[in-house]
Amino acid sequence: MEKAQKPVMLVLKDIHKFYGENEVLKGVSLEIPKGQLVTFVGPSGCGKTTLLRIVGGFTDATTGDIILDGRRVNDLPPNMRDTRICFQNYALFPHMTVSDNIAYGLKIAKWNKERIRTRVDELLKLVELSGFGDRMIDRLSGGQQQRVALARALAIEPKVLLLDEPLSNLDANLRLTMREEIRKLQERLQLTTVFVTHDQFEAMAISDRLVVLKNGLIEQVGTPIEIYDRPANEFVAGFVGYVNFLKAKVENVDREKRTARMSTEIVCSLEINMAQDVQTGEEVLLVVRPESVNLSISGNGCRPNCCKGVLKSYMYAGSIAKCTVEIGDKKMIIDQYNPREAERFHPGAEVDVEIPRNVHILKR
Amino acid sequence: MATAGDMTHTGSSTAIAGVKDFFNKNLVKILAFSLFLLLALFLLYPIVAVLLKSLKGPEGWTLKYYTVFFTKSYYFQSLYNTLILGLINTFICLVFGFCLAYMATRGPWWLRKPLKIVSLIPLVAPPYLFALSLIILFGRNGFCTKLFGMDWEIYGFDGVAISQCLAFIPLAFMMIENTLQSLNPNLEESAYDMGASEATIIRTITIPLLTPGLLKAALLIFVMTIAEFGNAAILGGRTPFLAPDTYTMITGESDFEMGSVLSVVLIAPCIIIFFIHNYLLEGKKFTTIGGKPVASEPRRITPAIMVPFTLVTLISCGAIALSFLVVLLASFVNILGVDNSLVLTNYFDFTTNYAIYNSIRVSFIAALIGAAIGVLLAYVIVRGNFFGRTFLEMVSLSGFALPGTVLGIGYLLAFSAPPLKLTGTLMILALNCVFRFIAVGVEAGISKLHQINIEIEEASADLGASFLTTFWRIVLPIMFPAFVAGFIYTFMTAIVSLSAVVFLVSPGFDLAAVKIFDAAVYGEIGIASAVTVKLVLIVMLCMATLHYITKKTQTGVAQKGVF
Repeated sequence: MEKAQKPVMLVLKDIHKFYGENEVLKGVSLEIPKGQLVTFVGPSGCGKTTLLRIVGGFTDATTGDIILDGRRVNDLPPNMRDTRICFQNYALFPHMTVSDNIAYGLKIAKWNKERIRTRVDELLKLVELSGFGDRMIDRLSGGQQQRVALARALAIEPKVLLLDEPLSNLDANLRLTMREEIRKLQERLQLTTVFVTHDQFEAMAISDRLVVLKNGLIEQVGTPIEIYDRPANEFVAGFVGYVNFLKAKVENVDREKRTARMSTEIVCSLEINMAQDVQTGEEVLLVVRPESVNLSISGNGCRPNCCKGVLKSYMYAGSIAKCTVEIGDKKMIIDQYNPREAERFHPGAEVDVEIPRNVHILKR
Repeated sequence: MATAGDMTHTGSSTAIAGVKDFFNKNLVKILAFSLFLLLALFLLYPIVAVLLKSLKGPEGWTLKYYTVFFTKSYYFQSLYNTLILGLINTFICLVFGFCLAYMATRGPWWLRKPLKIVSLIPLVAPPYLFALSLIILFGRNGFCTKLFGMDWEIYGFDGVAISQCLAFIPLAFMMIENTLQSLNPNLEESAYDMGASEATIIRTITIPLLTPGLLKAALLIFVMTIAEFGNAAILGGRTPFLAPDTYTMITGESDFEMGSVLSVVLIAPCIIIFFIHNYLLEGKKFTTIGGKPVASEPRRITPAIMVPFTLVTLISCGAIALSFLVVLLASFVNILGVDNSLVLTNYFDFTTNYAIYNSIRVSFIAALIGAAIGVLLAYVIVRGNFFGRTFLEMVSLSGFALPGTVLGIGYLLAFSAPPLKLTGTLMILALNCVFRFIAVGVEAGISKLHQINIEIEEASADLGASFLTTFWRIVLPIMFPAFVAGFIYTFMTAIVSLSAVVFLVSPGFDLAAVKIFDAAVYGEIGIASAVTVKLVLIVMLCMATLHYITKKTQTGVAQKGVF
């Protein structure tokens, strides 16, 4: 659980959800501060969409509390909660125009015609669809439909905006553009938003905070940097991007300099900065990101934290070269950004692999 | 390639090779043509015969019979009653069917089980079962009549309307449920999310989006109501309806001309509706499906909607269940209302058991032929590429649209004289069922074929197989489940069908459905009930087998009731 500095908009307390015998959410607790974009991310079946639906009121939690802006809303149906959801397939009403779709909630709230018209125009301008008001939904492209869905959800500004994989149905380029647009909109309106996606990179790109879920439990809550650089466990580490895990044993600890010497499975002695406390003799796992490793052709003498290996494959792609290096029995994936002297790297070459001092340590 | 030199030696064998070649290349077209001839002979020709009969007087072509129809108040009353019945029944079935479908897809779990069972009724029960149950309860010697001293006359418009409603509400329910299920639940959830009440959602979202589906259901129910013979004939009393009137014209007064006129008047709306249903409304869907499937959890429904809908559900399910129960009980009663002792004699009546035996025989043969032709037709329609393919498809499916009475009369007119004198035989009954219900086998075959990638056949050809070999060794085995499904479903439908066969049975060769009809009309309720129970059991057995097979082989069968 995170201690929030800002006022808290949404609190989830120990949410359990059973579908028959199957426990889909096994005790999820979370605090979301006002104005933040929080992403639920995790593999298929981890419960992220179920959690979202529980917040929105479409599914009931078996046990646990949902507290929205200080008020317990478990018993409130969706039409009485101040949340708005945007479904993955947009769920735009096909028998209505763009304007009618956006105005639907406003008509229900009994706004007068003038007020509705002004608001609809405002929203169309906000999502850059001015002039599209009279179009039927089936005459819109995917990206346009996405924006109408957003406008509709924002018509009466909700306390929490819920986005269920809103970008999954868009092609890659559009996904990137829309991603930015949603983030800009959210920041501008300071709207508390919960975003669900299975795309970890997307999650990292736009979130204030990520909630990594697996099998109905929260594995870690943190900023994108925390999740990537300081994952709490093996699962979170391996979830975003590729990771080389190195088994290591602490040989020696220097508490003054805050370093530890470790022997690793790649028969190489490493000096690692200690961000956490480790004890001599402890068995740990080092989280080595492919792009953090330094690769050079053997022969310049070995600096500290340097291991000798053999280059197995080298795929040059201009700005990046993707390499596989074999050190003893272990295969490591290494990314070389801005590769220098690429001609000298060829499969079979002997290389020096430099593990950085500041790798993240996971207890085993 | 034969050279000029070869020609002199092997002239004849080249000719034979040429014929074989032609045969192979055009097998599909030849098959299609032969099937078309069959359909034309056994489906189109009888209809044409009816049409011609209505226009041919002793002095030649005339419209005088039509004039009689439209001027005599009796016929006008009959037409009026039929149309009004159709409208009332359609309206009630739609409303009730919608409530049931809504509860089945969004209601609480405990309500969904009984609804599932109700949805199976139209496949198991012939509609005249409900006429029977009404007589048992409210007839002159009816249970309720005697118990409460009621003097409500069940014979007449009311009785027919009620029995038709009971018969077709499950059908409406099935069709609307189908459409409701394909409606993206996210749409209603979005509306809910934006503050709409349940009633508003139904009014502004659910029903507008369901409109094409509702329209199709309405058209089908209307056609089936006006064409259905059993209920109107048994409970009509002094109130005239078109379908039973055609029967009385033909069998009672041997007035084939007027009988044909009534048939033409009856068939006209059916054909128009068939076109609208299949070709104008086809593909017009307002439902959107996409993204992840969301579990259809029961929603919190406000009491304002929940209470009336649940009430409707309970009344409908209750009435239908009661009807079955009542028929079952009456089958054990000696003489209803007079001697209410429980006996088993109704089950051992020889003539009715023989009639059941006949029904089984006829339906079996009909199913065999029907499914075979249906599957072949399906192949030709899906894979064929020839002029008139859509027309062929239309004709194949039209059996569903034609009222059974019209086909019955048509067969009488068409096949009562040489060269095709079939009246009085088993074959005329079987053939009638074959072509009335051919659409079943066709639709099963078509849906199965859509599952088979054409590339399988292309691969077979690529490996050297001739068309015939591919057809025999690849296509037919894969289509076999469709054949079996079509067989069982045709059997089930044929064995309870009444409207057509009531014209075609002959003394000494009776069918179970007709026996029920006769017994019901003559007041032998015990017998009628016993035969009904036996038929229902047979059909239930078929249903179970069909369910098992379609599950195992993922074959789809058209879920339409045809009687």
